[in-house]
Amino acid sequence: MSDSKKQGFVVSSLVSLRDWTNERLPIVNAWEKHMSKYYAPKNFNFWYFFGVLSLVVLVIQLVSGVFLTMHYTNSAEAAFASVEYIMRDVEFGWLIRYIHSTGASAFFVVVYLHMFRGLMYGSYKKPRELIWVFGMAIYLVLMMEGFMGYVLPWGQMSYWGANVIVSLVGAIPIIGEDLLIWVRGDFLISNATLNRFFALHVVALPIILLALVVLHLLALHEVGSNNPDGIEIKKNKDANGVPLDGIPFHPFYTVHDLVGITVFLFVFCFILFFAPEMGGYFLEPPNFQEANPLVTPAHVPPVWYFTPFYSMLRAVTVPLLGLDAKFWGMLVMFGAIAILFVVPWLDRSPVRSMRYKGWYSRIALLIFTASFLILGYLGTLGTSPSRIALAQICTVLYFLFFFLMPWYTKKEQTFPEPLRVTGRWISNKQVVLTLVLLAALVLLPLRAVGAEVTVELDHVEMDLRDQASQQRGLATYMNYCHSCHSLKYARYERTATDLGIPENLMMENLSFGEAGFGDLMENTMRPEHGNAWFGVVPPDLTLISRVRGPEWLYTYLRSFYEDDARVWGVNNTIFPNVGMPNVLYKLQGDVICSNNASAPEDCELTHINGTGQLSPEAFDAMIYDLVNFLYYVGEPINLRRQEIGVYVLGFLAILLILVTLLNREYWRRIH
Amino acid sequence: MSEDDTDSGRRRFLLGSTSVVGVAGVVGAVVPFVGSWNPSAKARAAGAAVRVDISRIEEGAILGPIPAWRGRPIFVVRRTAESLAALPTIDGDLQDPASAQPEQPDYATNAHRSREPEILVLVGLCPHLFCSPTPRLSIRAEPFEENWKGGFYCPCHGSKFDMAGRVYNGSPSSRNMEVPSYFYETDSILVIGEDGEAA
Repeated sequence: MSDSKKQGFVVSSLVSLRDWTNERLPIVNAWEKHMSKYYAPKNFNFWYFFGVLSLVVLVIQLVSGVFLTMHYTNSAEAAFASVEYIMRDVEFGWLIRYIHSTGASAFFVVVYLHMFRGLMYGSYKKPRELIWVFGMAIYLVLMMEGFMGYVLPWGQMSYWGANVIVSLVGAIPIIGEDLLIWVRGDFLISNATLNRFFALHVVALPIILLALVVLHLLALHEVGSNNPDGIEIKKNKDANGVPLDGIPFHPFYTVHDLVGITVFLFVFCFILFFAPEMGGYFLEPPNFQEANPLVTPAHVPPVWYFTPFYSMLRAVTVPLLGLDAKFWGMLVMFGAIAILFVVPWLDRSPVRSMRYKGWYSRIALLIFTASFLILGYLGTLGTSPSRIALAQICTVLYFLFFFLMPWYTKKEQTFPEPLRVTGRWISNKQVVLTLVLLAALVLLPLRAVGAEVTVELDHVEMDLRDQASQQRGLATYMNYCHSCHSLKYARYERTATDLGIPENLMMENLSFGEAGFGDLMENTMRPEHGNAWFGVVPPDLTLISRVRGPEWLYTYLRSFYEDDARVWGVNNTIFPNVGMPNVLYKLQGDVICSNNASAPEDCELTHINGTGQLSPEAFDAMIYDLVNFLYYVGEPINLRRQEIGVYVLGFLAILLILVTLLNREYWRRIH
Repeated sequence: MSEDDTDSGRRRFLLGSTSVVGVAGVVGAVVPFVGSWNPSAKARAAGAAVRVDISRIEEGAILGPIPAWRGRPIFVVRRTAESLAALPTIDGDLQDPASAQPEQPDYATNAHRSREPEILVLVGLCPHLFCSPTPRLSIRAEPFEENWKGGFYCPCHGSKFDMAGRVYNGSPSSRNMEVPSYFYETDSILVIGEDGEAA
């Protein structure tokens, strides 16, 4: 460049600072070794994004985690409330929390895909065994990290998930019982357990994780990256010792990865802003209820990323050699993870990549993948004999993939490897065929074992923009619900502001007792009274719409019927033997059912003693307003979250255009 | 690949624009994290204005128990006519007799440093090193001052303040005690922490 002599003062200062530093710390050397002179094969395809994406998610989790720690309270009494405090009271706390919860699932998505890439292209084979082993160690630590992190919000799933998994320790013969008490630090999952999990989750495990990531990368950069063809690029070098099929990681793969990262962030933010619960898979509905050691939720599935192993645990139902099934289940579950570590020594194939391996390997990988997915889906469901049988078959197939690997990789006819890397990508026909085959292999067995039975709910559409409806709902709530229930995570001020209610109106007509405008909407009924009067403490309703869903609430509140066998003279068709009296019967009227209310036709609305002040339509509208209010209060930020999401996605779309053009500009002359 | 192979103008434009947009993105991403350090709704509720009933303060006495606003003690004193009369007489002994320094809202920038002459409202902290001064409200000889006209004496470092919270000459503190925002909701209810609509 002609103007290099006229470089400004700033540039020359930076250069001398670099040189000064480099004489004391080899930064130039490190940059060259790992970036500008790290020669990566030029035929990476999209599967090679997931390594760098794991790093991106790691950073996201570290940053959001550090900020969550600033607001979270680490104790069994206060943890749950502190998470709701983060979600409601801390500025942008909801965003940071959703980033972390979405990031946890995203971490496993990218890591599973990254691992699958390794299996497919033989990235574990000599000389990359250590990279694979470090990677598996990362996966193991990540699972511990995910498990312990899930306990911290101290919801029902946190508690019971921890209870189930920690109890496995008790299955170890002889020392199990004592070891279990030691792990929990108590006779149940308690404050002591929460505290140690917190320390491990935020301090110990992240340090180990970072160390392993460094080892994983150092080992990778020592031997060099594998590629979709699985051939060694270092075999063909030019006069300067640069691999002919290699290109410098920087700038070519840095700009290339920017495209992948931006696409990832787009998907990540879409989930974050528009579906943070991801249909109950990322944030499970029962976890919006505080931990209760005395009541187990109806169904305790772990978060989706553990479900394949959870299925294997449940699939083992036979005791063996005098040891109970639980012990063998645990062994199978941990064995399924442990066996991954030795894959480099199980694969005896002369070639690395599935592109040149034979049909035995390809079919084995397909069946293995299908089994893993089926196990994963089954783990989210309750059990039935046919599902257990399917899980058993898939568990056997999972292990056969590994046990038979030494045999089929050696026995099969491989295809000849090319001398140089190819830019080829399997044809669209092959992609579609593979996906169809995989889908069939996964879905057909699942169809055979039947779907989940669901309760019929009345369909209703909530409208968060309808403030008038929510105001009426709040009034109904205060008049009929608040004397027993509470909204103890919501504040009068926020609620009034969001619903457009003036302060004086709110505090004079819609508040209880001596509460201040900034206070939480607690009620005055003491828990012991609730227990004495209703047999249970009436639950707090702040999050009830997130636990049950608005449609359930809408149906439930309209499904009471007369039942003299119950204490309050009423029962409920979708919540049998509920402890709550029907406080709205004067408005609704009396519902008489025959045949144990087994079908809606069995019930009839009647009016005894002047009940039924409202017409059925007016009553339904009132319940709608009430549920609409409860839906709002379950997540006050809901509308704002989506508004911000639109801007974020718009921004990322612009960024995506730019990085795509930039990537194309750099790669124009490669290939 | 050599330098002239590439369209360097196009490349530089793309590098520049991507960097600008990328940096904007990073700045945007930093906003929520910085914002999360602001006082939360809980802290703001706890720091909201407090209401005190002044009807029960006797002449020449301080409201007890001492109320707190944002964790700071608030002195509410009903001054006697004698105390008020003594205020102008000691102007010569004070560092800032006319309240020139901004230690009070505008409506308290007057001879008695209050909305109504009788009622004095002060943040009960010495501006020196933030000990809480002891109220010595009576006009009588004190161990630290023979000719005491009533006021506040800081036990930590000996700063002396008069019955309007003005600091005496020779005190370690160089500023008067702070008067918080306040207003009368009714004749007997004082709201501390807000200026009220009249401000």
